Amino acid sequence: MKLKKSIIALVFSVFAASSLASSGMEGQPAPDFALKSSTGQNLRLSEFRGDVVMINFWATWCGPCRQEMPLLDELHARYQRAGFSLLGVNIDDDSSRAMDMIEELGVNFPVLFDARKEVSKLYDVEAMPVTVIVDRKGTVRYIHHGYKPGYESKYQDQIRSLLRE
Amino acid sequence: MDSDAAPAEAYGAAAQEAASRDQFRAIDQDVQSLKKEVLDLNRDLFLLEEELLFPANSQVAFFVSMDVGEYFDLDSISIKIDGKEVANYLYTEREADALIRGGVHRLHMANLKTGEHELIAVFIGHGPNVREYRRGATMSFDKGIGAKYVELEITDSITAQQPEFVIKEWE
Repeated sequence: MKLKKSIIALVFSVFAASSLASSGMEGQPAPDFALKSSTGQNLRLSEFRGDVVMINFWATWCGPCRQEMPLLDELHARYQRAGFSLLGVNIDDDSSRAMDMIEELGVNFPVLFDARKEVSKLYDVEAMPVTVIVDRKGTVRYIHHGYKPGYESKYQDQIRSLLRE
Repeated sequence: MDSDAAPAEAYGAAAQEAASRDQFRAIDQDVQSLKKEVLDLNRDLFLLEEELLFPANSQVAFFVSMDVGEYFDLDSISIKIDGKEVANYLYTEREADALIRGGVHRLHMANLKTGEHELIAVFIGHGPNVREYRRGATMSFDKGIGAKYVELEITDSITAQQPEFVIKEWE
């Protein structure tokens, strides 16, 4: 019985280790980038140092992204004054589609266009959406792959705890 | 008897305290010197890495500077060396402002063989009357022995009321 338990524990620890390895960026400095935004301005991540920054990779063809974006916009509106910034990084080849979707959803956070996919490669984006939360010092603290209803409260807790640091 | 024991005890405690303070100071000094050694080592490593990656003899560095900037609102610069894009840099408002204030930006550093090379720089931004502006500048340069520095300079031509793009080699 004891042996069985220890085998199960071992299997779980191996799984836990592999999931940690896949999010190996956590605790590392967030790679810097500059992209053109929906307002026409160029935005650079390092210029947001001092803020808690959420980077949300999304695409127009991604259903969960459509679900998640208005909720992220609410978080942005709520915590912006406390030093929280949200950067939506769109990975579509054609940025006009993204502009249409932003307008349709009525979101107000800055959206950046990564048509060359350089930034998504930098952040190893393999799922859609991917949400990266960076602390005030520019360190990647949390990475979320995909979106399921209820994730927004997890985001909120993490943002609040990072804002308090 | 008791009155004799008390000062002796106090003296012992004071001596012990002084000893521990000395010890603490020694540890602190050790930590400080270790910290200094780490910093020195880090600096040496950095210099060594730079020397290895960019040996002075094959090094070419490209700098961007901007004078006044009244006729040109810089958005991005891309440079090609011998037909291959090596850098594409987007400037944020702050960075463009820093250039106008006299800052110089090291856009790219490369290693090139000695001989003739061609540089094409494409400047993108907004010109007079907020018109989209895209201008290229080309220069052929001869890479000799020793490091080479190339400056991409954006200036205002008051007579033409247009921006000017000049590529200069530093001697």
